[in-house]
Amino acid sequence: MIEAYFIHLAILVGIYLILALSLQLALGYTGLINLGHIAFFAIGAYVSALLTLSGIPFIIAILLAGVISALFGFLLSIPTNKLKGDYLALATLAFTFVIYAITLNWASLTRGPLGLPGIPKPSIFGLSFSSNLSFLILILVIVLAVYFLIKRIVYSPFGKVLEATRDNELATRVLGKNTFKIKSIALGASAFFAGIAGSLYAHYITYIDPSSFTIMQLIPILCIVIIGGLASLRGTIIATIILILLPEPLRFIGFPSSVVGPMRQIIYALILLLILIYRPKGFFGKVELE
Amino acid sequence: MLKIQNLSKHFGGVKAVNNCSFDIKENNITALIGPNGSGKSTLFNLVSGIIKEDSGKITYNKQDITNLSPEKVSNTGISRLFQKSQLFDNLTIKENLLLAIDNEDTKFWKNLLGKNKTTKEKEERVNKLLKLVEMESFADKLGRELSYGQKRLIEIARTILNPHKLLMLDEPIAGVTPKLRTKISEILLNLKKQGATILLIEHDMNFALNLADEVIVLDEGRVIAKGTPNQIKNNKKVLEAYLGD
Amino acid sequence: MSSIAFQLLINGLIAGAIYALVASGFSLIYSTNKFIHFAHGAVIAFSAYVLYFLFSILGINFGFSVVLAIIFASLLGYLLDIAVYKQLRKKKTSSVILLIASVGLLILLESLILLLFGADVKTIGFIKGSKGMEFLGAIITPLQIFIIITSIILLAGLFLFMKKTKLGKAMRAVSDNKDVAEIVGISSEKIYSWSFIIGSAIAGIAAILIGLEQNLEPTMGTNLMIKGFAAAIIGGIGSVHGAVLGAFLLGIVENFGIWYLPSGYKDAIAFVLLFIFLLFRPQGILRIKRRAEK
Repeated sequence: MIEAYFIHLAILVGIYLILALSLQLALGYTGLINLGHIAFFAIGAYVSALLTLSGIPFIIAILLAGVISALFGFLLSIPTNKLKGDYLALATLAFTFVIYAITLNWASLTRGPLGLPGIPKPSIFGLSFSSNLSFLILILVIVLAVYFLIKRIVYSPFGKVLEATRDNELATRVLGKNTFKIKSIALGASAFFAGIAGSLYAHYITYIDPSSFTIMQLIPILCIVIIGGLASLRGTIIATIILILLPEPLRFIGFPSSVVGPMRQIIYALILLLILIYRPKGFFGKVELE
Repeated sequence: MLKIQNLSKHFGGVKAVNNCSFDIKENNITALIGPNGSGKSTLFNLVSGIIKEDSGKITYNKQDITNLSPEKVSNTGISRLFQKSQLFDNLTIKENLLLAIDNEDTKFWKNLLGKNKTTKEKEERVNKLLKLVEMESFADKLGRELSYGQKRLIEIARTILNPHKLLMLDEPIAGVTPKLRTKISEILLNLKKQGATILLIEHDMNFALNLADEVIVLDEGRVIAKGTPNQIKNNKKVLEAYLGD
Repeated sequence: MSSIAFQLLINGLIAGAIYALVASGFSLIYSTNKFIHFAHGAVIAFSAYVLYFLFSILGINFGFSVVLAIIFASLLGYLLDIAVYKQLRKKKTSSVILLIASVGLLILLESLILLLFGADVKTIGFIKGSKGMEFLGAIITPLQIFIIITSIILLAGLFLFMKKTKLGKAMRAVSDNKDVAEIVGISSEKIYSWSFIIGSAIAGIAAILIGLEQNLEPTMGTNLMIKGFAAAIIGGIGSVHGAVLGAFLLGIVENFGIWYLPSGYKDAIAFVLLFIFLLFRPQGILRIKRRAEK
């Protein structure tokens, strides 16, 4: 029993880790105030769910989930390229609302508020990952791959250009770098990984509906990225583990789920506010937010 | 080499650059001087592609670069130093410099697949440059840890690291110690020897007039005098412009 | 004009009146403080729930409950400013961080509502089964007429306040140029507080009207905020006049929009309009120039 609980937590940590690391790529390293990250998560989840429900193998579905999310990332970067600071934040936030409205209203595709139940557990080349333990192993492998890829990106010269763009976009352009292209790639890559996380989420919970992808879900991720510290992969990992595990004791005090849910959000919101006021650099952060 | 033709730019009701025209000779050190507000920095920003001109033409090596974006202007071979420090605060000095010579760093897939490793050759060049400006010990310090003068030196180093043909320097020695001033002078003269063309804005008359081959004087957005340092020193119009009307 | 079109117009004006109340309070706060106080929507939601609590649960006299709810709204807005925004202002943080903090506050307050009142829909039930009256071929209830009238009176009062009163003029001064305003002796901190007190009071009034007209649910704050914010952007953020114009435009477009689209898309219209304006016309229809932003 206890085992199942810890496996469940580990899986959640894994999914949040991918979300947080991918947001870190766009926000911490490139300086893109992307508050629409959840939209990419949603797109990945729905794409993967719909594809597998139509019989497409999981491995193709999850890759397409990433690719289509990445595509949306690219597309979003075009009109938002020249937006600064809060307008960028608002436009990306509005993007979340638009995706929410689409998933809610395009009922012929997404079944609207009824959501998509019965999403199949992953199965790769005949190997089924239906037990939670096997799912955990799958997630572990994917998390490691994602971490490795993101680390490779940020430690490479490309990563330095990302950071340069964050620190001073004009100076970066004057050095001959096309920052529009760089920002588009950063947002696209960030969206790719968020889409992968979305797919994993859909296949784990096996039911998704529009309410799983609102700005409420953004708060824990934003919290993790800021507390861990911008542009720190290590900080993100530590923050994810601590923040996901933090509200869990509430369950043991005897609160029902309907209480634990909002309390988690309250805790995350409070922590976010405290960090913004007292330690905006987070714990391992290289940079302060904006 | 660089040809400015009838360039104009206004901000609100003020004409910052007013039908300005001049030529920069290749392999010369040209100083652009003039009282505050005469349009020098605006002119630089127009050439760099940072702001858009109202009218006029900018030609570089027979190529029309009038409306190019900053990165495209840079890639034609024009390098730029700003008045305000533009060093990347959160990158190390070494990383700041490598950015200037790495041409493959915007190629995502190449970098992801690990095919764009910072070669020994690039590191060598950066180290040599740091040695030249006597700042080897600063290689791993973050941009924000340097003092203004140190930042200036590194930025000048960064400007010259890539073999650019035209260097546009906006007040390279402002706020810099006399010793550093001499060093920068040496560096610029050396660059000229290696074939570079230098255009600099400077308020320090001595520095500008001693270093330059040619001087162009701007006032209220247009050229009021042009000539050798000696000619400019004795030019009445220039004197008037500086002493105000 | 056909009676359907006229009905839609009436519905649009009713919606617009509500959005105008939301947007004007929000705009007042934005133009004075120069950042997006997203939690404004939560202040409205919370106040509506407080009214519900006082009237429907505790059984306190309706008029009394209304007054208390409005005071609560005002107080809540003021507290949010003192406890969070002021602390961030002290550190000279950018408006982006203030925006993120306000989103955090929105989620915090919404979660509190969820915790205290549960997720199910609540009704205030003060006005029971009011029949719609006929008015030039359209149906409109007395409450709805009341909403439009209250909204107009309140907005007119707000405009007069901004133009004629000392406090109103001081707010405009701070909005135009905080530093100059301080030089002539206006305390910007005091003005910030006042903008929250008054803006949130308007939110409180909006909460009462919305609570009577619609049902209460925990996420109503986010929804209203998006509408109010869309209205402010469409009209031109930074201008209370613009926000009101945008609000009525939004209300009308929404209602005419669902003539063609399925009614579920009503909210989507606001989201999409918001998104499009942010991307392509952030100064709004009236081309309001953002003043003195970082």
